[in-house]
Amino acid sequence: MMHSIAQKEFISTLRDRRFGVLSALVLALLLAATLVGRASYRTLQQERQLAQATVNEQFRNQPARHPHRVAHYGSFAFRPKSGLSLLDAGVDSFTGSAVFLEAHQQNSVNFSPAQQSGSLIRFGEMTVAFVLQLLVPLLIIFLCFGAFTQERETGTLKLLLSQGVTIRQVAWGKILGYSQAVALVVAPALALAAVLLFTGEEFASGVDLAARLTLFVVSYAVYFFLFVVGAVVVSAGQSSSRAALVTLLGFWILSGIILPKATANLGASLYPTTTKAQMDAEVHEQAQHGLNGHDPQDKRAAALKADLLKKYGVDSEDKLPVSVAGLQMAAGEEYSTRVYQQHFAALNATYQRQNRLSDWAGLLNPYQAIRPLSMGLAGSDFAHYVHFQQAAESYRYDLVQRLNGLQASMGYGDKERRLDASTWRAVPVFMYQAPTLGWAWPHLFLPMAALLLWAGLLSWIGLRLIATTPVA
Amino acid sequence: MTYILEAKELRKQYADKLALRGLNLQIAPGEVFCLLGQNGAGKSTTINLFLGFVQPTAGAAFVNGLEVATNPIKIKEYLAYIPEQVMLYPHLTGLENLALFSSLAGYKYPQWELVQYLTDAGLPAEAVQRRVGTYSKGMRQKVGIAIAVAKHAKVLLLDEPTSGLDPKASNEFSELLRRLSGQGTAVLMATHDIFRAKEVGTRVGIMREGELVDVRPTATLNAQELEQLYLTFMN
Repeated sequence: MMHSIAQKEFISTLRDRRFGVLSALVLALLLAATLVGRASYRTLQQERQLAQATVNEQFRNQPARHPHRVAHYGSFAFRPKSGLSLLDAGVDSFTGSAVFLEAHQQNSVNFSPAQQSGSLIRFGEMTVAFVLQLLVPLLIIFLCFGAFTQERETGTLKLLLSQGVTIRQVAWGKILGYSQAVALVVAPALALAAVLLFTGEEFASGVDLAARLTLFVVSYAVYFFLFVVGAVVVSAGQSSSRAALVTLLGFWILSGIILPKATANLGASLYPTTTKAQMDAEVHEQAQHGLNGHDPQDKRAAALKADLLKKYGVDSEDKLPVSVAGLQMAAGEEYSTRVYQQHFAALNATYQRQNRLSDWAGLLNPYQAIRPLSMGLAGSDFAHYVHFQQAAESYRYDLVQRLNGLQASMGYGDKERRLDASTWRAVPVFMYQAPTLGWAWPHLFLPMAALLLWAGLLSWIGLRLIATTPVA
Repeated sequence: MTYILEAKELRKQYADKLALRGLNLQIAPGEVFCLLGQNGAGKSTTINLFLGFVQPTAGAAFVNGLEVATNPIKIKEYLAYIPEQVMLYPHLTGLENLALFSSLAGYKYPQWELVQYLTDAGLPAEAVQRRVGTYSKGMRQKVGIAIAVAKHAKVLLLDEPTSGLDPKASNEFSELLRRLSGQGTAVLMATHDIFRAKEVGTRVGIMREGELVDVRPTATLNAQELEQLYLTFMN
């Protein structure tokens, strides 16, 4: 019975010219967004790979230099794009893509696409995720708002029910039929994306990507399903098609525009972040309490020197087997890194609290559940960004301390000497390993649970409500 | 005697209106019972109560001995319903509409048989593969009749089925009702059409303000007498 009703809805929908026009438009947007996303991915990925290779090459090809000069010469870490970011760019456009790695300080990640593009990007990008999250639900609303109201208005509901089907069977048949129609619109774009991801040379295909893509598709299937169920339930509960359409559009505006903005504003006021200038000032002030390797008059530097003289049982610096300056640099770096990490950790914790609020809002708003889930699966959310930031900082610290170690091993009078150019070729370059789905899972659990909860509760409660809806 | 349709003290109170005041009615197999009355007299409510689309405030409706309120799905096996306006699904053809409703009732007919039902109901053969959106009201009504006939129901519940039909189509419809009645199908028809009621009905009932105020065998009256009786009660 359900199958017959589903088939009827599917065929009727396909033959409806209004749906044909709307779905063709959405499909065209999805396909265009997929291709544009791939072109953008390819350009940015190539740029970053080239830039990373260039700075690595420049670092390795430095002439004979003092190690601390090399530490100040520094290097760059460029964040590679994740394959699925072609579907959901997430926060990538607003977070930076490159960080300068140098001695004494942890720089923030800069050069975001938004900083380098025109102002249009700040109004949101036309990504596959944008179409899936906002435009497909709109299509679903236009498709389903009359599911029951039109049947009631034309009298076909009584005719259907007089055949011996229950109203719940009618509802499930409709949900099934509409879901098939939606799948017909969305599937080609996702299939194209899958083909591009697994055949394109520029993508690192593998089990992790396959798992992420599968979950991505399943998550959106659940998201669309709950919109279909919601629209059918609302249609059953309203007295006219017009009232059903207005109610559903109201919900769309509330969930897609008002609630996300309100939550973001609430998060920012509940958990305010410090400005960059304020943070720089605080870091500078705290760093003053540490050891300054560049200042021979620094009390802590002098104490370290005294300890070394005592340890080696000598009375002057020139008799030490190690460079005092190199060890002072290492101690200073350890302290300043701790200060920076405390501040960056506090800042990231504030951002995470703001994001967490938005994640919890997913329990009230399915759009706020699918958004972090989609970004997280695409590897373009804040957590993935922080992973890169921390990997770059970890590399920076190891690099600088390695150079400080080289300086220390040069012994007294190191400032007048240079290390051979071949030394820099032995230093490992920055290689970023993006996190796996297993790493990302704890960040995705809440939005995934919220989405499933929505789908489950809506099906359970909604279909119970439909069973009590008046027929005549 | 076994009745296929029976109402016992059936009462329906809407929020602001008492639509049916203790209706008692029995209809035997093969009988065509026509309910006459003005708009709001309770004719459609009676049909909706037998279909289980509304719940009675008091009393009970029975179909083939089963109480409607406690067997809302089972009783539909015995019923076929034709509303005043058969709208159907405009994007499906007449054939597809019939196939859909028949399959919901548990019947899977081959295409030739579906065509047979439609043409027997008076739909032109050239129209069966056309979308219903292009049909006239009369053509849709004929598809509705085909849906009812293809269900092989023991009872037809008709809510002003000839309203808006042209005289030829109305006559064909009357002929069909006679044929089905002859085969033992009971018919409960709500109508404003006194002459059609006299023509096809075995009994007529006159409803006023939720009450069945008079029931007569049609054989005892001619059309003018029935009209006079009707007008007397309405006034």
